[in-house]
Amino acid sequence: MSRSFTRRDFLSGSLSVGAAGALHTALGPVTTLAEPGALPAKSASITVTQQPRAKRVTWQDRTLVLCTLFGGNDGLNTVIPYASPTYRSLRGGVAIPESQAQPIGVVDNLKVGLHPALVGMKALWDAGQVAIVMGAGYPNPNYSHFQSMEIMMSADPSGDIPSGWIGRWLDATGASPTRALSVGPNLPQVFSGERQQGSTLADSTTSGDQQPDGDPYFMRSYAECEHTFHRETQLQAAIAQTGTNLLVVGAKAASALTSQKPPNLVSATDPGDIGTQFDVVAELIKAGLPTKAYGVSQSSFDTHAGELETQAGLLAQLDAAVENFIGAFPTGSKGLSPVIVIYSEFGRRPESNSSGGTDHGSANVVLVVGPSVKGGFYGDMQSLRRLDDMGNFRFTTDIRRVYATVLAEIMGVHPGDFVGAHPPLGFLS
Amino acid sequence: MSLSTTSALAHLYRRAGFGATQAEIDAAAKDGFDAAVDKLVAGLSARDVAGDALKLPTLTPLAQSSIPGFNYDDYDEFMNLSTWWLGRMVVTDTPLREKLVLLMHEQFPTSYAKVAYADLMYNQNKIFRTLGAGPFDVLTQAVAQDPAMLIWLDTGTDLKAHPNENFARELMERFTMGIGNYSEKDVREAARAFTGWSLDYFTGEFFFNPYDHDNGEKRYLGHTGRFQGQDIIKIATHTTASSRWVVSRFWSWLAYPVTPHDPVVSDLAPRYKKDLNMTNLVEAIFHHPRFLSTQSLNGLIKQPIEFLVGTLRLLGLTTQAFGEGAFVYLLANLGQQPFVPFNVGGWGQNQYWLSTSASNSQLALAWAVAQYADLAAVADLNGNPGAQVDAITKMLAIQSWSSRTYQALWKLADKGSPQEVLVLALVSPEYLMN
Repeated sequence: MSRSFTRRDFLSGSLSVGAAGALHTALGPVTTLAEPGALPAKSASITVTQQPRAKRVTWQDRTLVLCTLFGGNDGLNTVIPYASPTYRSLRGGVAIPESQAQPIGVVDNLKVGLHPALVGMKALWDAGQVAIVMGAGYPNPNYSHFQSMEIMMSADPSGDIPSGWIGRWLDATGASPTRALSVGPNLPQVFSGERQQGSTLADSTTSGDQQPDGDPYFMRSYAECEHTFHRETQLQAAIAQTGTNLLVVGAKAASALTSQKPPNLVSATDPGDIGTQFDVVAELIKAGLPTKAYGVSQSSFDTHAGELETQAGLLAQLDAAVENFIGAFPTGSKGLSPVIVIYSEFGRRPESNSSGGTDHGSANVVLVVGPSVKGGFYGDMQSLRRLDDMGNFRFTTDIRRVYATVLAEIMGVHPGDFVGAHPPLGFLS
Repeated sequence: MSLSTTSALAHLYRRAGFGATQAEIDAAAKDGFDAAVDKLVAGLSARDVAGDALKLPTLTPLAQSSIPGFNYDDYDEFMNLSTWWLGRMVVTDTPLREKLVLLMHEQFPTSYAKVAYADLMYNQNKIFRTLGAGPFDVLTQAVAQDPAMLIWLDTGTDLKAHPNENFARELMERFTMGIGNYSEKDVREAARAFTGWSLDYFTGEFFFNPYDHDNGEKRYLGHTGRFQGQDIIKIATHTTASSRWVVSRFWSWLAYPVTPHDPVVSDLAPRYKKDLNMTNLVEAIFHHPRFLSTQSLNGLIKQPIEFLVGTLRLLGLTTQAFGEGAFVYLLANLGQQPFVPFNVGGWGQNQYWLSTSASNSQLALAWAVAQYADLAAVADLNGNPGAQVDAITKMLAIQSWSSRTYQALWKLADKGSPQEVLVLALVSPEYLMN
């Protein structure tokens, strides 16, 4: 299967239209030239692009880490137009003070900065390892958490296709249950295909938590018992297949995890600790599992009330997890180039409510982080002045362009087969 | 192929409660399926002697709670409360009522992770127990003004200008109507009606603050008036869309997953819409011919809570057998911790429960339960693997095995311990079906 987009597309296409048509490219390094606050970002980006590489990072070297923020993370308070009077007046008490935002550049004439809790992310931005996709969304925004997340995970705004966009890649690329692994008990829809399912791992870096305990004879009996047969009912066959997959995935994960840390127990106070999830993924990538896509997630971003405190706490956890994770992969680690894609079901409404929070919105920012990421801004800033008739952002960048980029530059397939004809962005070129 | 009475009863008891032992099934078979339904339904208005006898843990009322928000003393109370609820499901004399409490928790998913007061989670649980079998609109009104919900969906923080839309949206989308039956404008108008609703942290009770209430005219679902929150709930719960949504939810939990457009919903929704009475609805579901269809018999995978509670009931164990809160963690690893739904959408069904790590946790839970099971009678049959498998089959009230599973169990019985055979039976595809 041929790849359509390469690094060349960025170099030649950044100022023109690439082979795919309206190829939207990184304008960050260009637009930030006039912005003193963005100097580190600019110079870092240039350093990265000019750095001679012994071996070009290709899709074979990359691994996707898809990070889902459940509840609708407030993108406007993540990448903040901190100096905009429109932002201040819409947000009132839910605005991040100008003095706290960490400036990273100018997009569409607006100075933007990262949320104050994203300290590690700022350092990674300065190192040219963070791409920010602005205004990411889809036509006819849906304001239901569940339907919008289904759309984001299926990459189908009509809501008719039940499979996930990674699930369809699983359907097309074989039967191994280790190709896509999500941390946590429930398999997200994005990793579910029509015929193939991704697998899940325990939220624990302890080897013994990943595979069943039992003597060899018992485990052989288990394998027999979970061996699906002709004419079995659909659900029983699915149960059996999952048990069979556990034996493969559990053994691989258990042998990759060397840590003997005490088991990480999920609880109400600690619903799927994001740091532990990233730790599990880092260890498995380093152990060389044949996994192309990992999934991690964080919840509780539905900040209808008391947003400032809640979001700051959540982003601080996420930031520490991402910083630790990236730190585990020094630039140039051969064949080990993880790419974190951080997204949510929707952003939040520009105008705040009277509960110190914000309600369900639409277009949002997507953050892409990793040593082989071409840092900068992608897509156009969602306009604060041209809101739709419900007071929400109009999207500027179809989310399927993000997925197309991942499919081309990480999975090494033709994206059109999985998400339709949407030109990739340049953040991995 | 006609369904045997015992198979029909085994199905009914699993769906209308948490399963029955083979002895209970055999005893009920004399009076037949309809009599068993009548008895289960009668339990909705009967006293739960065993359940009531279970001692409620100490819970600090909100008004007496010194530290606002999350604190570790409260977390202990919360773990005790979780143990209590699961224990109640295990010992109950009125299993259909306890099943409805669980399903109402899934209809109005509310999480301790945000509410952060164990006593408030208990109060909501009590509302499900006392009002869950009555009219759905009455239940919805009570749940809406209950402190747990006021905190969970931020209703208690609304002011007149720019009310937050959290409760107004989920009320329609998840609790009463289902998506596609209201507009974004309806969400905003409904949110205005809930302004002034508040939680008094000193008394721990709901209060209405008229100064924060938007008393203006609202246009909502085709109606116009100076609506208050109660009016919004009344209008929403009495819509045709709501009757289809609520019926489809409970049919999906008790029989097999359907959408609100399914023909079986058309059969049941008109009657339900007359009085919104949940007792009548569940009775109609059990008497509907499709309840005993092949699709229904093969239609549901056990939820983790159903797996744990049902297994303890079958083995004659109580939650006390486990270490403090241990099984709450085991359930969390399976993705279904009581009082901690994944989000306001609750939990999913069937495929939602299937994942490799969940299969692993299922095995861990099976080992944890099996170590307390009294298997002396099975051990006495040592040397006769067929008899040992039969004994465990009866213990789990399994009506039939596939030859695949039976052979695996037989071979394990031949070489392994009774405990191992029980564990394997508990994680077999047949037992994991509900």
